[in-house]
Formats: sequence, structure tokens, C-alpha cells
Amino acid sequence: MEEELKQIVDAAKTNVGAVSNRADFEAFKAGITGPNGSLTKVMKGMGQVAKEDRPTFGKLINEAKQQVQAIYDIALEAIEAAEIAERLGPPIDPSLPSPDSEPGSLHPLTQVREEISRIFKQIGFTVAEGTEVETEYYCFDALNTPKDHPARDLQDTFYLPDDADFGNVSKNSDERYLLRTHTSSVQIRTMLKGEPPIRIISPGRCFRRDTVDATHSANFNQVEGLYVDKNVTVRDLKAILDYFFEQLLGKGTTTRFRPHFFPYTEPSFEVDFSSSHLAKLGSDWVEIAGCGMVEPEVFASVGYDPEVYSGFAFGMGIERIAMIIYGIDDIRYFYQNDHRFLKQFA
Amino acid sequence: MKISLNWLKRYIDLPESPKEIADSLTLLGFEVDDMESTGLPQLENVIVGEVLGRQQHPNADKLGVCRVALGDAIGEKTIVCGASNYKLGDRVPVAIPGAVLPGGFRIKRSKLRGVESDGMMCSGKEIGAGEDAAGLLILEGRPELGTPINAVLTESDTVFNLEVTPNRPDCLSHLGIARELAARYQRELSYPAVDDLPAPGDRPSGEEIFKSASVECEEDCPLYRATVIKGVKIGPSPAWMQDLLSSIGLRPINNVVDVTNYVLHECGNPLHAFDARDIKGSKIMVRNAREDEKVVTLDDEERTLSSRMVVIADDERALAVAGVMGGQNSEVKEDTKDLVLEVAYFNPTTIRWVSKTLGLSSDSSYRFERGIDPTSLRFATDRAVQLILETAGGTVCGPEHVAGSEPMVEKEVELSTDWVRVKAGFEISDEEIRDSLERLDMVISEESDGDWLVNIPSYRGDLDRPIDLLEEVLRIYGTDKIPSGAVAATATGENDNPITEFSRRAANYLVGQHFNEVINYTLRSEAEQQNWSDSVSRMALGLKNPISEDQTQLRHSLLPGILESLRLNQSRKTGASRFFELGRVFREVKGKVVEMISVAFAEYSLGRPRSWKLREADDFFTAKNRATLLAGFAGIDIGRFKVSQIVDDSTAWQEGQAAVIDDPRAGILAEFGLMNLERIKALDIEGDIVAGSFSILPERLKAAKRVQFQPFSLFPPTAKDLALVVDQSELANDVVRSIEKIAQKATQGAFAMESIYVFDIYEGEGLPAGKKSVAVSMVFRSSERTLRDKEVNTAFEKIQNVIREKTAFEIRD
Repeated sequence: MEEELKQIVDAAKTNVGAVSNRADFEAFKAGITGPNGSLTKVMKGMGQVAKEDRPTFGKLINEAKQQVQAIYDIALEAIEAAEIAERLGPPIDPSLPSPDSEPGSLHPLTQVREEISRIFKQIGFTVAEGTEVETEYYCFDALNTPKDHPARDLQDTFYLPDDADFGNVSKNSDERYLLRTHTSSVQIRTMLKGEPPIRIISPGRCFRRDTVDATHSANFNQVEGLYVDKNVTVRDLKAILDYFFEQLLGKGTTTRFRPHFFPYTEPSFEVDFSSSHLAKLGSDWVEIAGCGMVEPEVFASVGYDPEVYSGFAFGMGIERIAMIIYGIDDIRYFYQNDHRFLKQFA
Repeated sequence: MKISLNWLKRYIDLPESPKEIADSLTLLGFEVDDMESTGLPQLENVIVGEVLGRQQHPNADKLGVCRVALGDAIGEKTIVCGASNYKLGDRVPVAIPGAVLPGGFRIKRSKLRGVESDGMMCSGKEIGAGEDAAGLLILEGRPELGTPINAVLTESDTVFNLEVTPNRPDCLSHLGIARELAARYQRELSYPAVDDLPAPGDRPSGEEIFKSASVECEEDCPLYRATVIKGVKIGPSPAWMQDLLSSIGLRPINNVVDVTNYVLHECGNPLHAFDARDIKGSKIMVRNAREDEKVVTLDDEERTLSSRMVVIADDERALAVAGVMGGQNSEVKEDTKDLVLEVAYFNPTTIRWVSKTLGLSSDSSYRFERGIDPTSLRFATDRAVQLILETAGGTVCGPEHVAGSEPMVEKEVELSTDWVRVKAGFEISDEEIRDSLERLDMVISEESDGDWLVNIPSYRGDLDRPIDLLEEVLRIYGTDKIPSGAVAATATGENDNPITEFSRRAANYLVGQHFNEVINYTLRSEAEQQNWSDSVSRMALGLKNPISEDQTQLRHSLLPGILESLRLNQSRKTGASRFFELGRVFREVKGKVVEMISVAFAEYSLGRPRSWKLREADDFFTAKNRATLLAGFAGIDIGRFKVSQIVDDSTAWQEGQAAVIDDPRAGILAEFGLMNLERIKALDIEGDIVAGSFSILPERLKAAKRVQFQPFSLFPPTAKDLALVVDQSELANDVVRSIEKIAQKATQGAFAMESIYVFDIYEGEGLPAGKKSVAVSMVFRSSERTLRDKEVNTAFEKIQNVIREKTAFEIRD
């Protein structure tokens, strides 16, 4: 009996060497501990063993079972290891690049717009939006632009046909539809909708009937800002723009106001900045924005009392800012979408 | 507008450098776009010297060693010189050590071939006075030794090209600009004196030449003055006048015409001189043109006029288009003897309209349409008469013909100095305010306790209100000195617009999915639009006044632009494979065009061209997943809407491989799938394109709502699978929705079917032709207890019975 068990274990030790996969293993296992297995057979002989020998016999069988189980475990472990190795394949070459696409990227104009929005949000300005198709009233009349101002010419502004009908662009009366030339129309509509305090920026696409060249584009992006409240001063305007440009262009950036003229602000200024960070530009003054205190006529057109409220507005071109901060010399790059351009901003 | 520095200097002392003056103009609000200096630049240490003697250089055949006198202060110096065009006693420009010549050449004391040289004698070219480099510049007239060369060669000038904003027509002249500089520098401004003319009463009668001037249309021409000068001699104008006119780009013509141009650019008043012979009936009438009246203007063009236009006419015909351009029939000619000189004030609106309608703009119309000072006519007349008499001779005759009257321009503005400080937001004293206003020729006529009455000069039509004066105060105070302050942040309780928030989330998702954002033009060509959408031709997306043929329409979709970007990158071999764009698109819904917020993406189904490891191709379901997520950012669950397969190959999409969700009531449009293979190929793009877009009306975008937590069951689920044989054309989602309804009814009140999903689709062997099998898994769960097998089985039986009885689906065993 003892001999028989020893043989079974020895045979298992020998035969396990030929087991290389799960099917082999199952067959091997069945041959020993399966219903007709060699060890099972011995165990079945237990009944014929004398009662007094049974404890010894039982002990021997248990030992044999343990030994066989140990052989199983080792074999199974090896099989599993082999299976994993096969599933995983050879070790990777970690220096190979990922076959997936290169990183995605936001367009530089989007990044600049977002950066502008972020800076203004720090000081309480939220983003307002409007439609790109506008009407002459919201784009010009309400902004105190004279009826015969050249900006309204067919030469300079894109108009929609006289019979155009827009479902979600409201008119003031029967004025013409046009493509907005600035996002100031958003300011008008925002003021008409609510009461001061108003503190918004309105980034967005604008259109002018320009021929495309290195610095002009028929569509371009602008961001305008508006703050209306009681007791808003010229100095507040300067403070806001100083804060903004220092955040945008780096510490040590200074701004300078120059008198200018816009129909919708009085007084009006153009804003120059000077920044030692932008090496290309040196320390000269560079024009960057227009601004001013909201013209009382504009308040009148939205029903605000100019005796009670005052405010300021400012505007700047997003392309121009992007060109300055990234050192881009041709506006057409923004609309060509060459990946070698775009991926630099990933 | 071009402004000559030399011309300005006739009215104001300007020792500043041209650069400093340009800066001052810019800070006054007249931005200098560029400036061009002619003649000699400003040179330090270049002075007049005289060659006293010359010896041959010991070591160089071509060099002379000269003794040069440089005036008492410096004395005599030795200078080595290679030129040979001078003789002893000639005076020449000498650059002494310290001088920097044009081009940056710095003069130092140095040794030339072993001989010490104390400077350089210069050619014209070397000091920037012309192109002559052949020899020394020999100075005419023996100027004083030691004199700075700029004091000798004074024929230099700087011309500023500056921008005059439309509110400042008073600055469209040299006197106007000089007046601004005088205010800034606090300097005397000297107007040309015209008091040497004979008093009107002392002038001989010119009535045999010219009888009268009258105005029929007073609204268009409130004031008209005509002055007769007889016996002029037409010839060239003097050199100084020609030089000044040339410097600002005007071609000298003859003395009389040059005077009118000169006075226009001096005072800002347009004038016109008629040949008195050509005025039929010797009378001038300012009247509206007759419909289709013709006149040949000085630029040789025949102009056809309309009755809203205004002409200067004699008894028979129009002589000039009023305020815009004179006519050929009465222009000053070589043999002109007697003149009638017109100085007028025309209504700005009229002139602007006429100029625009005729497409004819002139220096005159430019000024009239912006508004000239109506009180300036007398001075301009006198100044022109004075200069004509001076340059062309003749006699000014009486009487003065004046039609109409000066419009009232006297204005007073009430101003509170406290109000100025409140608006400015910083301390600016009463004295500073007063100083600013007075420097601009405003007069404070009354004052009490900081409340002032300010008289406005007649030429400042732009100043009407206190806010206008605030601007003037700041301008003279110096807008560059406005102090900065602390940012006062006001909380408005507003959030960024939902469009902005949606755009951010959509863009961030797509960037995370390896897409590069592109930005394309909104305006597209009609051909391109129609190529990608058959319905576009019926939409009213065209512009009234496009600028070019390839930009005539508002885009109906972002995809054509994105494809254009893919095509460009493929042809440039940049390796880009995934692009997206966010922007506005336009579509027609029920006869009205609407502007929609749109996001679209397109990618090569196989990803990057050539890779060492292939990935599974992206397909319709990749696009569907992206479109679904994008709609989700807008708060739209597109699973709730009817999805239609695209079965028409005339669209942007590949037949049978794309889908559309179009719900105008909800204001959304989503399309996704494989793009039309043929059309992609026709675009010269190699590779299959998987794409999608989602558009929504902006007014349907709402700020994201706060989530309310829903409790969920902690008990285990039980799942039941069911395979259904259905028509091949049946949409899987319709199957799922029907089963869902049945299951919910079957379990009503007892427990819930938590979810149902398709886990297998099969067609082919074992199934009848035209059929497919849709296998769904239903998950049941109770929120209160563990479900018993029996109750689930009962419900499952019930579901199957209902399917058998009420649907066309067959249950597959």
C-alpha cells in the first residue's frame, strides 16, 4: 500500500514534466485524482483495509494527496505564467511612440480668449454672448453712430439681403440685418435686458469688409468689456486695464492712454502698452486697445439715466493680442489651420 | 493728413525734435502713423569750415592734409581729405569729433595713414543733403565759420502723416494743428496778419466784372462770400509756397490755384477761384442742381447731378459742384485776368451725401462734410486775397458780396469742477482745470464756487456738454498722467454665458480626444455649401454685398471648413488626423434663418497615416458616441430624440453609414457617421472620414442645473436575457423601447426593470432572410428586498407573452 502510494506520487512527479497546457493538466489531474484516477482507486480500497490499520492508511493517503496537490499547484502556476506570457507577448520597447494621435490642442485664439476671460473673471467680469448676425440698430444706432457714418457703408460692413428674416435676432424696428462689426451690440442687448451693476466682457467673431492681408481678415475676433454702475470714473477704467495688461503681458507692463474718438464713448482713449517682456517690441509704446467712458447718448438709448449711472467700455482684437504674445507675424496663420502651427499651442 | 513741420513753424516756435513733436501730437489725440524727413537731418558737431591750405599726404597719393578754419571757438585744425573738387578758400561742411553722421558713422579724432586728422570734410551725401558723393559739398554764400550746418542748409523738413479723428475738423489744417501744439507747449500762436489789405470801403468797384452772389438753397449753403480781384497775372507761385505744397503731396499749378490750396491747408477753409470771364451774366447763384444736370469737373469727368445736389451756377449753367469740385468751364487759366474768389460754408450733411453719391471726394469736400468754422470765412477770404495780390498782383475790388448769414455758433457750457473730479476719479485742482480750458482758448465767463460758465471757441463744434470738456481737461492735463488705482471689483452675481460654458466643455472633451481645434471663415462659397448640403441652395444664407466670390454665404455647417483643413494638412503632409471647430452656423427653419451654436469634428477612420501599430478603425459608433457626449454638454440627451438613418447618397454623408437627429422644436440638429466617400474623394482627400456635428439654438442652452441625488438599491439584481427575431430594417433602439415599455408594465408595482441593453445582434445562418436577431439583457432590481426567482420568472413569462401577442417580434429560443 505504502509502496503503491509512493509509486503514484513518483509517477506524478515524472509525468508532470510533460504537462504544458491546461488540457494536459486536466488530463494529468484526472489520471490521478479524477473519478478513475490512480490515487482515487487507492482511496476506494480503503474499505478493505483492516479497521486498526485505517488511521495509518488514512495518514499515508493524506500525505500522498498533499504531495500530489503540491505538484498540481506548481504545474498550474507554471501554466498560468505561460498563459500570461503568451497573452502579453514579448516585452515592449518603451522607446516606441504611442500609435495614437498626437495631443489635441485648443486654437491659439481660443486660448487667448480664455486667458482674457480668466483674468477678467478675477475682477468680477463674466462672459456675455450675442449673435454674429445683428441689426443696424444694435450695431450702430444704439451706439450713437451717426446715420451717415462711413462704417455703415456697404463698402465696410457686410449686410444681409433686404428680405432676410432671422428667427432669433430681434430687430428694433425695420432696420437691416448685418454681420456685426464689433461685439458692442452685445453690450447694448445686455444693458437692455438688465439693470446695473453690469460687468461683462463679450468676446466674439466680428466682420469687416476688408481684403485679407497680413494684418487684415474679413472675420476677426474681438473682446469688449463694459462696466456700468454708480460713480464709475476714468481712473477706474485705467486701473482695470492696468491690472488686465499686467496679468496678460507680465509684471512691469505699463499702459498709457491717448485721447481718441469713438461715437460710443466720451471721453475716448486709445491704449498703448509697453512691456519689457516682449522682446520683439522693445520698450516702445504699442497700440493695443480702445476705451472710454460710456457716452450718455448710449445710456439714453438703453434707458439708463446718465445722471445716475456712469460706466466704461473697452475693446481689443484677439488676433492682435495673440500675435503680440506669441510673436506671430501674419494673421492668416490663424485661419489656415496648418497642424504645424496649431500643435505649437498644444 | 499730411502736416509739414516747416509749415507749422510759420505760426509757432518749435525747437523740439520732430520725434518729440510727433509724440506730443500723438498724446494730443492726433496719432502720427508715420513721419518722413527730407533734407538735412538734425546734425550735432557738423559746422562750417574753410579750407586754408592743402599739402600732399606723405604716405598716400590720393589724400591731402588740409588746414581748416572752424571759427573762433575752435580755431584751425588739420584734416586729412581724399576729395579734390575744392579750392583753397572754399567753405565746406566739417564733421568734428563727436559728430554722428547719417547711417551712424561716428567721427573721432584718428590717424589716417600715419597723419592725425581732427574730423572730416563732408560731401552732400555724407551729411544726408542729397545724393552727391563725388566731392565735398561747397557751401554757397560764404556762411559764417563755425555755424552749425543745420543753420546753413535749412531746406529740411519733416512731414507727419497723422490721423485727425472725425470730431476734430478744426484740426484739418496747419493752423489747427499749430493751435493744439500751442496749447500743449503753452506757446504763442501767431496767425498770419491780414491787416495790410485796403478796407472794404476803399476798394475800387468791381461791378463791371461781377454783379452779385445769391443763395437759393439756404439750408445747404448758409453763407457765401464772393470777392473780385481784377488784373491778376497768372504765373508760377513763389518757391516757398511751392515747396510747402509739394511737401504735403500737392502739385503746384499756378499762383492763384496754389493760393487757394495753400489757404485750405493753412486755415482749413476750402476756397475756389473762378475766371470772371466765364461767369455768364456776371452773377453767381448757389442753387440745387437740376435733375440730370451735367458739369465737367476739374478732374476731367462729366458728372451727372441730381436735384438734391448743390451747384454754383451762373445765368446759364453750373460752374462747380458746390463744396466738392470746381468745373472746367470756369477754371483759372494762363490768360485769366479777373477772378471771383469764393469762400463759403456748406451744410456738412449735404456735402457728405453729394460726395458719397458722386463717388468724388476732394480736400474741400473732406473738410466741408466734417464741418468748418462758419465764423472763419472773413479771415480766409482776406488771407487768400492778400496772398493772391502778393503772388499774382491785381487789385481787390468792392463791394463784398455776402449771401446768407453766419450760423450761430456761440456756445456756453456749464461746468462744475467738483463734477470733473468725480468723473475723473482723481484729484485735479480748479487751477489745473482752468489752465487746461484756457490753453484751448475757452473763456470762463462766469464762476461761483467751482460752478463755471465756459465759452466755447467757434471752431469747436464738438464741445457741447460738460463731459466733452472733461475730455479736453484730460487731454491738456495729459491722458498719460491719469493715475492708476486699486481695482474695485463689483460682484454682479452673474455667471459666464451658457454658450461659453458649453463651448469650454465641448472643446475640452475634444482636445482630450486628440482633436486639434481649427478656426475657419464664416463666409463660404456657394459652390462649397451646395456640395455639402442639397438643401442649402434653398436657404437664404447669401450676403447682400460679398467681397469676393469665395465668400458669399453664411456657413450652414462647420464641416466643410474642417474638411478643408484636413485636405490642406494632408497635402502638406503634416500628419494631422483629427480636427474640430466650434462656432456659429446658420440654417433655415420654417422660412426664417436662425443662428445656431455648433460644434463639429472630423477624423480619419484609421487615425494617423502609417503607424507601427494598427488600431481598430473609428466608425459610425465612434462618431455617435462623440456627438452624444457633445449634446450632453448642452444638457441634451439625444437618445430621447428620433434618430434617422441617412439613406440618401446626395448628402454629406455616406448612405447607410450615418444618421441624423433633427428636431427644430427642440432647436437641435445632430449628424454623425461616415462622410460621403465619393465627395471626400472628389475633394482629393485620401482616407475615410468619420465625423459628426451638433448644433443648438443659443436660446435653448441653459446654465447647468444642480444635480439632485437619487438613492439607489443595495440589493442584488437579477438579469434575464431575451433574443428577438425582427425585421432587418427595424432599429434596435425601437426594439429596446418596446420591450422596455412591456417590461415596465409587467413589473409595475412590484419591482423595477433597472436597465435594458442590447448585447448581441445576429443575422445570417439559422435566421430567415430579411430578419435579424436582437438580444437584450434586462436587469431587474428592487429597492426594498432581494428578488425571489419565482417573481422574476413570473414577470419574465408575462413579458414574453405580451411580446408574442402584441408585437411582430419573434422570441428566439
